[in-house]
Amino acid sequence: MTQTEILAKMQPVFDDVFLDDVKVTPELSANDVEEWDSLLQISLVLGIEKAFGVRFRVGEVEATKNLGEFANLIQRRMAEGAKA
Amino acid sequence: MSGETVTAPTRPGTGNVRELLAARDTAFWPALREATRNAQDFSEALSLATMRKKAVRAGIPVMIDKTIRLAVVGGSSLYPLNELLEQTIGAASATGWWQVELWKGDYDNYIAETLDPESELYAFKPEVIFLIPSSQRCVYQGALTDSREQQQTAALAAAEDVLALCRTAHERSGAEIVVANFMPAVDFDPGPYRVRTLGSDWNFRRAVNLELGLNAPSYVHICDAEFLATRRGAVNCYDARAWFETKQLYASDFAVDIAREVAAIVRSLHKPSKKVLALDLDNTLWGGVIGDDGMAGIEIGGTHARGEAFKQFQLAIASLAKRGVVLAVCSKNDYKNAAEPFEKHPEMVLRLSDIACFKANWEPKSENLRRIADELNLGLDSIVFVDDNPAEIEIVNQFVPEIETIHLGPDPAEYASQLLNSRFFEPRSITADDLKRGEQYQQQAARAQAMSSSGTDMESYLGSLDMHSTISEFTAVDVPRISQLINKSNQFNVTTRRRTEAEVEALLTDKSHYAFSVRLADKFGDNGLISVVIVAVEAETATVDTWLMSCRVLKRQMEDEVVNEMVRLAKLRGCSSIVGHYLPTEKNGMVRDLFPRMGFTLVEETPERTTWRLDVNAFTPHPTHIRIDRRAYPTNSPESL
Repeated sequence: MTQTEILAKMQPVFDDVFLDDVKVTPELSANDVEEWDSLLQISLVLGIEKAFGVRFRVGEVEATKNLGEFANLIQRRMAEGAKA
Repeated sequence: MSGETVTAPTRPGTGNVRELLAARDTAFWPALREATRNAQDFSEALSLATMRKKAVRAGIPVMIDKTIRLAVVGGSSLYPLNELLEQTIGAASATGWWQVELWKGDYDNYIAETLDPESELYAFKPEVIFLIPSSQRCVYQGALTDSREQQQTAALAAAEDVLALCRTAHERSGAEIVVANFMPAVDFDPGPYRVRTLGSDWNFRRAVNLELGLNAPSYVHICDAEFLATRRGAVNCYDARAWFETKQLYASDFAVDIAREVAAIVRSLHKPSKKVLALDLDNTLWGGVIGDDGMAGIEIGGTHARGEAFKQFQLAIASLAKRGVVLAVCSKNDYKNAAEPFEKHPEMVLRLSDIACFKANWEPKSENLRRIADELNLGLDSIVFVDDNPAEIEIVNQFVPEIETIHLGPDPAEYASQLLNSRFFEPRSITADDLKRGEQYQQQAARAQAMSSSGTDMESYLGSLDMHSTISEFTAVDVPRISQLINKSNQFNVTTRRRTEAEVEALLTDKSHYAFSVRLADKFGDNGLISVVIVAVEAETATVDTWLMSCRVLKRQMEDEVVNEMVRLAKLRGCSSIVGHYLPTEKNGMVRDLFPRMGFTLVEETPERTTWRLDVNAFTPHPTHIRIDRRAYPTNSPESL
């Protein structure tokens, strides 16, 4: 899956969590969306893990700076899952 | 029920709630309540919480019928648990929404917050405190091979530590305390040896939890994390990553179980549990349709699987009845057909004598349920109705929304667990009177019949009842039942003043009050403890603080005997008058005229209250048909009061 494909697949998860129009782009980060607090962050991570069938390791999601980096992380975890 | 068209009602899921939100529909709130109660996981619960906030911002009107001041303190991050608590407690309202004013302590600061009398926790003035002690403090510090006594002592001490915090918090704030016990250990280490020592995490936590539960005073309510985790599968209740990242004690989905349990406890503090289970018959108590299939054709017990499942359901019902739940039948059938299995079928568990009120006819079930409520002299909101037919459930939901319903699923194998997990019949504490309640309601029905056979001659009817009563000062044994009545009587209750068990207990030694409870028995049976009176004495004036009575014994002259006793004790205490206040509520209209009926004269009338006075020296005891076997404070000396 390319980064663009991953971002596209993230969009419905965002729609579900925010219940509002939040357009997923590689540059987007929590600072850009007023409602995006730590509560919604927890829901987002849970939703993404479910949607992509991956499990992040401790500390790595908070280390990503924006959705582009987050998508790359998803990509790495997916590749790992495919190898296993 | 045969031959009816069945249309399944749509269950409000999250999707439906979202549509109602978008449409700004006021049906949003009931749908949100239902969806929140059924929410299966964290994401769904959170999503519903988000919708709630949006609905408030969008101004969809909601009836806030209660505000709960809840403080949460604990050894883990209390966020986002607080969001789940707000959501699940909000949905505990029967017809509106409960607003939660929530104060949340700092991470792992609960001991200091509890011990410091100046802490924000107490400044917040919570009604309920939810305390989540740290599991790190629930570890046996010695060796696995230490003596059992040593390990037992440590477990008791760990439980006592938690209970001591609860006691402090309760004494400082008066709040009810909900405390989470410890989740079961899930690591295999130290292997099978874990069961041979109390020092293993597995056994130690179980031992501490046991001590917690068995030693908890009545103001402490255990949020049983051990049970809930066991039920869900304990390995699914931990999330190591979430602990390290954000100090979450509970895996996200498990946090929903915890929040829902706290909501159930908070609800039970405000609402009594249900009293009546009203049952459909065909395909509910037995398989098949009695009118079509006949006695030989219905499936109940015996040698086949479906029949066994229905029998198991009846056994589950019987277990509730044994604990005091009153059974009623509400079925579309000819009475003769419907009653026959109860009388003659050898495999039936339930018999006619188990059913306090039997309605089998062709009237709408909503009407029959109203009649059941009337005949048992109970509110509609004390009834739970069970049916396998979704159309009947829908009719009842629509026409008598006060009645909660259980729609049995497609598989009778699940009926028993569906009933036992409905949570409608959970007692806060079980009193001996509860265990006799079923009997009492049958006696009530017998009395109603005696009444109709003796016509309208009330006096001779009352005389024929052979009533006798014991009146007692408050005793420690009666405290649970007295508190139960104080906290749930709404109708015959002049002041509707609530008190916790601890407050009732305090009255046992309080010299500035006299207080008594009344039991009433008659030739049909014992009604148990049915009336409670608390009177404050100041100089020569006795003021009625609380006067309530179970509606079961209305129109039995019991209130006359209560006044007789009230006056007798007032005289013993040297009082010249008794003052009574009637504080009107939506539900206590039946006692609006109680004081004047009892001979009190009006002193003052305002919209908030009416005030009445009785001159005790001019009072002549009211004659009744009740024999008083014992009176309160039996040494009869003023000092004994």
